[in-house]
Amino acid sequence: MIAFLLRRFMWFVITVWAVQSLSFFLVRLAPGGPFTQERNVPLHVELAQRAKLNLDVPLYEQYFGYFGKLFRFDLGISDRQPDFTVNEIIAAGFPVSASLGVLALLFAVALGLAAGIVSAVFRGRGWDVSIMAAATLGIAVPSFVVASVVIILFVFVWPLFPAAGWGEPANLVLPAFCLGAPYAAYIARLSRTGMLEVLSQDYIRTAYAKGLSTRAVVLRHALRGALLPVFSFLGPAVAGILTGSLVIEKIFAIPGLGVHLLNAALQRDFTLMLGMVLVYTTVLYSMNTLVDLSYRILDPRVELT
Amino acid sequence: MQAIGRKLFPYLAAILLLLAAYFAVAGERRAPADFTFVNGTEIKSIDPAISTGQPEGRIIRALFEGLVNWDPRDLSSTPGVAARWEMSEDSRRITFHLRDDALWSDGTPVTADDFVYSYRRLLDPLTAAQYAYQLYYVVGAEKYNRGQVAVGDRVEIERFDPPSGAPPHARGELLRGTLLEYAEAFVDDPAAGKTELSDDEQRERLRRRVRMYTIEIDGEARRFKTGVAAFRDEPEFDAYEPVKQVLVDFDTVGIRAPDDRTLIFELNNPAPYFVSLTGFYPLYPVHRETVERFGSPDWMRPENLVGNGPYRLEERAFRDYIRLAKSETYWNAENVKLDVIDALAVESNVTALNMYENRQVDWTPVVPTVILPELKKQDRDDLRVAPYLTITYFRFNVTRSPLTDARVRRALSLAIDRPEIVDKIMRGGRTAATSFVPIGIEGYESPDCCQHDPEEARRLLAKAGFPGGKGMRKLTLLHNASEDAEKLCQAVQFQWHDTLGVEVELVRQEWGTYQEKVRNLEYDVAIAGWIGDYVDPNTFLDMFVTGGGNNNTGWSHAEFDAIIKERAPRERDPEKRLALMRQAEEILLAEMPVVPLYFPERNYLVRTYVKGLHNNILDVHPLHDLWIDEAERERQTAPRRKR
Repeated sequence: MIAFLLRRFMWFVITVWAVQSLSFFLVRLAPGGPFTQERNVPLHVELAQRAKLNLDVPLYEQYFGYFGKLFRFDLGISDRQPDFTVNEIIAAGFPVSASLGVLALLFAVALGLAAGIVSAVFRGRGWDVSIMAAATLGIAVPSFVVASVVIILFVFVWPLFPAAGWGEPANLVLPAFCLGAPYAAYIARLSRTGMLEVLSQDYIRTAYAKGLSTRAVVLRHALRGALLPVFSFLGPAVAGILTGSLVIEKIFAIPGLGVHLLNAALQRDFTLMLGMVLVYTTVLYSMNTLVDLSYRILDPRVELT
Repeated sequence: MQAIGRKLFPYLAAILLLLAAYFAVAGERRAPADFTFVNGTEIKSIDPAISTGQPEGRIIRALFEGLVNWDPRDLSSTPGVAARWEMSEDSRRITFHLRDDALWSDGTPVTADDFVYSYRRLLDPLTAAQYAYQLYYVVGAEKYNRGQVAVGDRVEIERFDPPSGAPPHARGELLRGTLLEYAEAFVDDPAAGKTELSDDEQRERLRRRVRMYTIEIDGEARRFKTGVAAFRDEPEFDAYEPVKQVLVDFDTVGIRAPDDRTLIFELNNPAPYFVSLTGFYPLYPVHRETVERFGSPDWMRPENLVGNGPYRLEERAFRDYIRLAKSETYWNAENVKLDVIDALAVESNVTALNMYENRQVDWTPVVPTVILPELKKQDRDDLRVAPYLTITYFRFNVTRSPLTDARVRRALSLAIDRPEIVDKIMRGGRTAATSFVPIGIEGYESPDCCQHDPEEARRLLAKAGFPGGKGMRKLTLLHNASEDAEKLCQAVQFQWHDTLGVEVELVRQEWGTYQEKVRNLEYDVAIAGWIGDYVDPNTFLDMFVTGGGNNNTGWSHAEFDAIIKERAPRERDPEKRLALMRQAEEILLAEMPVVPLYFPERNYLVRTYVKGLHNNILDVHPLHDLWIDEAERERQTAPRRKR
């Protein structure tokens, strides 16, 4: 297992280098730069701004300078938000996105699994049909629509929660619901499929033959097998959910990370963009590694390579 | 080990999730503020020198104070740090007398030297301040800011490291002398063998520039060089010592502090609005000691920031909120009514509206225009409509045929039905443009333009050789992919086709690319907007002088240039000066390198118990002027559930 982790880490370093290099050059190829704005600045100001952002030295010097600082975990000052370093921006946003994400995930896993199991056990009956219909709807309806509907319902019609903002537990409920809903739907479908497959296995029949109750068979013997597809879905899903959602964070004015990747790219905030790409790479990579590890734990037949 | 791991795994995962959930919920709640408002997107900076936007201005005006303040009712100048000021006979010298009781938040007095320091910082090319040009009225300021030097000038040489004993972020050590010789060289000159350079090549060339100075210091001739390329190993530059920058000596710039309480400006030309300009926030002072000790961005952190304004920076959470607390050291603290103010960073106007309607905020400065007709129907007394010093217009690229012909440009303008666009397409929140300079500048009346006259439009187009649009190539209309821009452009596309038979293709570009294309004149027609910096027609007209940084149309007109650059600035009589401005606008509207479309209004929602918030055309609402009618607030919130 140690060897596995070391090997993974080595690949991680290579991945980060490749992704960062690619992003470094791509973002510089796009027209404009961090100093572009509606008002045209005189050439001498633009050149000074370039110099301030260290963009006037040859490209290879910028490249090596960037990686030199990256090794010391120094991502520099944001090009567009000069009051903050990229490290500070990530440190401010990540806990917010992550904690919202964890809540959404909890909700999604709990609801999704329950729905999936019920659905599989009552296959083809009313419960199954209505749960699967709801799940399909949950996947198909975009989150801004879900958000608008819950805001109308639970902020204005029945004023239970604040409309937007951050800092109080009540602020978490609606965004966590909207963020988690599509994931819950996916998990419901995946766990239903996994469950159905497991329920037709011989060892389940053996368990029934031994006289175990349906409840014991389903929860003790079948559930574990049904979880495998859910886990492989959860790896990338967790990465996505932890790094924040652009739409949800915008609608509910949540100071998370979700907005940064797109905004930084649109605004040509070179340093922040590279920092965000680094966060995504790291989270996605560690989640995939964790999923591989959890496979091994859930299913002893799986070998780690 | 594995077996244990397998057994424990579900429990561990559950505990981890619960801990994370606890962390998410267990934040410390902050006490409610006296006044909470939505301040748009996270502000770029609280450094007055490098900020440019409205939301930035609201915060900077609370944390710092300039020589004068603007009265929010009529934007006239009222005493700020300066208690009084006077103009010399020829109105080219302005003397400000600072009040004795103006203090920084660390208790030290605000001195005239603080202003000299801050203005030098604003003008320093290394600050790269976009608004540095606001000080170009001052003698020598432009030269200093542009880094121009001429043989015989007194110059200051800034070395890379601060003198020993100076704070870590102070300027480099200064040497002073007289310039004897000046030369520049270009490493691997991209212009070699070329006669004409594109903008990009011009930039690239300047980046390869090495500037070489021979300067007499105390009777000795010494050699210095500046520029990024100066570090290359080129033997021809070896004899020169590399330094940070060489500028004209700041002592030659017309900003002086003969004593702690007196600040004198020498101006190039009589500029009656210069006094008012010192109330514009980029010209606010910063605290030298903190800036030099902590450097950027650390000097702006709540624990370090020293300001001289009515409020202190209590907390700042990125993209969340800024908490301002009343400053006890402010000279006029007794007239500052609100103790604690929260400025929320909310990106979406719709979210801001939701928060206002849900009574989470007291003021939202921008209402989404789509909802405006609905709100107006409700006939509510908390919706305010204010004229605003801004215009939305089209630029024509006059270097491209057939737009080189003024008749074609005029025909295109006459074919636009502005009232229809404003009322039916954009559905309110705007006034159809009748000139280029927006309505509302006192004493100035714009020439009339922009009638809808399809007959005349067709006639003009025919005269230009395109009867019924025949023979005219398809034009492109560039916009920046915003929803409003798209709607507007589609409407105009339809009207041009319908009235003139002119085919237009919409080109949608994301923001950065759009900017680049406009800048490089890679378009036929492009949407544009402009917000005035100060209350004078000049802020709208001077961008169209030949080669002006925001001209971007390729248009050039000798008489227009003469009025804006020579005649108007020299005119002492304000009435005659405005008449000259009107003449310039007439030229602009006759030539039509730009088509005025509409003047966006400011629409905002503010609770009726908030007092002291006045409409003005710069949309400036100083927070220290606000107060709250508690009795009325009580009445309004009582029937509602307390949140």
